[in-house]
Amino acid sequence: MRIVVGVKWVPNTQAVRFDPRTGTLIREGVPSVVNPHDLQAVELALRLKESYGGEVIALTMAPPSAREGLEHVLGMGVDLGVLITDRVFAGADTLATSYVIAKAIEKISRERGPVDLAVFGQETIDSSTAHIGAQTASWLGWPYIYYVTSVDEVGEGYVRVARYLEDRVERYELRLPAVLSVAMKTFKPRPVRLAYKLRARLEEPILVWTNRELGLDPRCVGLRGSPTRVAKITFTPEVPRKKLVYKPRDADDAVRWLVEQLLKDEKASKILRAVLGGG
Amino acid sequence: MTEQSSPERARALRLEDLLGRDIYDVDEEPHITVDYEKCSKCDAKPCLYLCPAGCYTLSGNRVLFSYEGCLECGTCRAICPMGAVRWSYPKSGRGVFYRFT
Amino acid sequence: MGFSATGTPRFDVVVVGAGPAGATAAYLLARDGFRVLLVERGRGAGSKTLYGGRVYAGPLREVWPDLDREAPIHRWVRVERLSILEGERGLTLEYRTPKAYSFTAYLPDLVKWMVKKAVEAGAVFVDEVRVDSLLVEGGRVRGIRAGPDRVYADVVVDAEGVNRLLLEGAGIVEPLEAWRAPVALGVKEVIKLGEKAVTERFGLDDDRTGAAWVIMGDATGGLPGGGFIYTFKDTVSLGVVLRLGEAYREAGRPPLDSGPYALVERLRLHPLLQRLLEGGDIVEYGAHLTIEGGLAFMPDHLAYDGLVIVGDAAGFILNTGYTVRGVDYAVYSAKLAAEAIKKSLEAGDTSAENLRLYEKLVRESFIYQELEKHWAASKLMEEWGTAGKYPSIALRAASRLFEAESRHPTLWEAFLEALRASRATLLDAARVFAEVVRGL
Repeated sequence: MRIVVGVKWVPNTQAVRFDPRTGTLIREGVPSVVNPHDLQAVELALRLKESYGGEVIALTMAPPSAREGLEHVLGMGVDLGVLITDRVFAGADTLATSYVIAKAIEKISRERGPVDLAVFGQETIDSSTAHIGAQTASWLGWPYIYYVTSVDEVGEGYVRVARYLEDRVERYELRLPAVLSVAMKTFKPRPVRLAYKLRARLEEPILVWTNRELGLDPRCVGLRGSPTRVAKITFTPEVPRKKLVYKPRDADDAVRWLVEQLLKDEKASKILRAVLGGG
Repeated sequence: MTEQSSPERARALRLEDLLGRDIYDVDEEPHITVDYEKCSKCDAKPCLYLCPAGCYTLSGNRVLFSYEGCLECGTCRAICPMGAVRWSYPKSGRGVFYRFT
Repeated sequence: MGFSATGTPRFDVVVVGAGPAGATAAYLLARDGFRVLLVERGRGAGSKTLYGGRVYAGPLREVWPDLDREAPIHRWVRVERLSILEGERGLTLEYRTPKAYSFTAYLPDLVKWMVKKAVEAGAVFVDEVRVDSLLVEGGRVRGIRAGPDRVYADVVVDAEGVNRLLLEGAGIVEPLEAWRAPVALGVKEVIKLGEKAVTERFGLDDDRTGAAWVIMGDATGGLPGGGFIYTFKDTVSLGVVLRLGEAYREAGRPPLDSGPYALVERLRLHPLLQRLLEGGDIVEYGAHLTIEGGLAFMPDHLAYDGLVIVGDAAGFILNTGYTVRGVDYAVYSAKLAAEAIKKSLEAGDTSAENLRLYEKLVRESFIYQELEKHWAASKLMEEWGTAGKYPSIALRAASRLFEAESRHPTLWEAFLEALRASRATLLDAARVFAEVVRGL
C-alpha cells in the first residue's frame, strides 16, 4: 500500500520565550523540529508498511529548511520525502494548507500510483488546530477518522481502526483510500537508523515541488487563500507556583503528602479544615 | 513551555530557571538508567551535589533520577562510586541542543 | 551508489564525532579523495558541543587558510585578564596587546562551518546517529555499529570526545572514574548584554576586540579549579571549572552543597563581576567535562589496527592554569592523523604499525611537547592549586600593599607577610617559582 504522512516543520515551542518588554517571541537560535505528534503518524505508517508492504511518503509544506525534518523521517525509514515550498504558499491558514496537501496527494496518486492512506498527527505543537486531517479528507472526498489508537486490519479496499475514548472503544471500518489522524502518544516513534540516514544522504530521495509543479490557482493558496484572521494574541501572566515535585511510593503516600502540603499552606489549610470540620 | 524573560536581578537564579533557558528535544526513552539496587547501598551520594542539571534528587533516603534536564556531560558516570549509572547519549539527535556554547 | 538498508556499506574512513577534531579529519581526508563518512549523534553539526569560548588561530590556519575571512569569529582576544579572588577582595592583572593570537566564537557555529567544509570536500555527513560500538573483528577495528546497522571502513577515526564510550567498550581505555582520571567539570552560562555593553563594560577598544579572563582563588569557593569569562559579539560566557577528583571528595559540603550551578551563580554575583554582568539575559546554561593533565588521560597508543584516536578522546587539552587550549589541539591532532591515514591507505596497510606514524608526528609536534612541558606545572597545580596557596599569597600581598592606613610595607615585606599568613615557607615559594618559570 502507498501511505502519505503529513509532517509539519515547527519551531521547538519549548524553546520559544516571550519578551515582555517588546511583546514579541524570542526566536533567536531556536531550532525547528518535526512536530512530535506527526512522528507518531510516521511510526504508524512505517508499521503498516512492515505488515502490508508498499511505500511511505512524507509530505511537508514549509520553507526549504524543512529538508532537515524530512531527513529525520527518512532516517526512521520513510521511503520518499516531498517538500512543497514556494513563496506563493506562505502565510497559509489550515484551509489553504490542506488544499495544497490534498492536491499534492492527488499528484502523487497520478504519478507514482494510487495513495491508499493519508496519515496525520493529532495536532501541531505550534498551533494546535487539529484541522489538517479533516480538511484534507474533505478536499479529497475520502472518509476520515481521528484519534486513531490502533489499525487492526487492512484488507482489499478497507481499513479497520480503533480509537480508545475515555469511556469506550470505538471500532470503524473505512473504505480506502482514507485519511486517519492518530491520537498523540500512541505510536512511539522509532529511532533514526544509520543505514536509512546514509541512504537519505547518498540518494537524496526528496522531491521539491513549487507551484510550478502543482499548478494551483494563486487565489486558493497562501495568504490569499486563507480566510482565517488572527485578531489578537494575548499571553496569560505567569502564576507564581510552588512547583513542588514529589514522587510517591503509592497512592496512599501521595494523598498523605498532598494533605501535609495543604495543611502547611495557610489559605489551603483553612479551607481544608472548614470542609473537614463540617463532616 | 514559554518562559518570561527579564533582566537578571542581583540574586542567584534557581537551577530550574537556568535549565529553562536551554533547548531540549526530550526522548520518551531515558538514555541513562540507574541501578537502584547498587545505588541504595551508597552513603556518599555525590551525584546529588555534582550533577550540573540536578538530575539526581533525594526522596527520603532514596536517590531519584530524572533524565529530562540532562546536559550530557558525563559527570554522574565518572563520580558514581557504586558504578550504578548506566550512561549513554540520547538517540536520534534528541536531548539538549546547544547554540551559544 | 546503491546502499540498501540491509547491505553493509564500506568507506575508506569512518569518523565518529563531528567536533573540531572529527570535522577536520573528515575534511582533510575527503579533500584528498578518500571516501569518508562522518557520523554525529547530535541534530545537525555542533548541537552537542561546549567549551570555554576561545580558540587559538594558528593551528587552524594551517588547515583552513581562509579561516580569518570565513569562520564565524566573534572577537579577537587582545585583552587578557587574570584575577585572584578572596571573599569580596580581588587582584586583577591585565595584559593588552595589539596582536591577537586567539579569537572567541560559538563552538556550535565554528563546528558547523568546519563540517560544511568537509561536506563540500566530499565527505558524507550523517547526523542524529549515535554510534554504539567499534566493530572489532579478528583483533582489528573494521568499522562501527549503530543500533542494528554496521558500516565497514579501512580506518575508524575516534573523535568521540572526553566521554570515551567506544574506547572503553573496546577495552582500549579504562572506564572513566573521577577519583583517578584527571578530568574536570566545566559549567557555564552565556549572558546576553548587547554588543555595545560588552565592548564598553569590558574596556575593549572596539566591537571586534575581545577579552579572555581567568579567575583564580575564590571563583570555585576554594575548590581546585577556576573561573573564566570570554567576551563574544553581544554576549559573554561565564563559567567555573571544577576538578572532579577533589569535587568528588567535597560533595555535600559547602560550597558544593547545592550543585555546581550555584558556584557559577555565586561568581556572577561577585562584587568584582556583578556590575559588568548586571541586566544581562542568561540565554544558555551548559556543562561539559574537560581534561586537566592531558598526558595522564592519553590512551596507551594513539593508533591501533584500523583505529586512530584524535582530539579530547586522545587527551589533547592543555590547561596551564592561565590559559586553556583544546579546539586548536583537536584540529591539529586530526591534521596529523589525516597525514598518517593517507599514507597508510595509499600503502594499502592500515595496521597499527603504519598508523602509528600519527603517534610519531604527535610526539614531534607542539601538542605533545607542550603537554609534557606543562606536566610539571600541572603537578604543582595539584599541590598548590589554582585555587590554593599561591594565588592567595599574591592577593594577601596586594592587600598589605594597598590596605595600609599609614605605614606602607615594601613589596618584599608584603610578600613575606603574605607567605606567613598562607603558612608557606620562602623555600616553598622559591620552588614553585622555579618550577613555574621552568614550565613557562
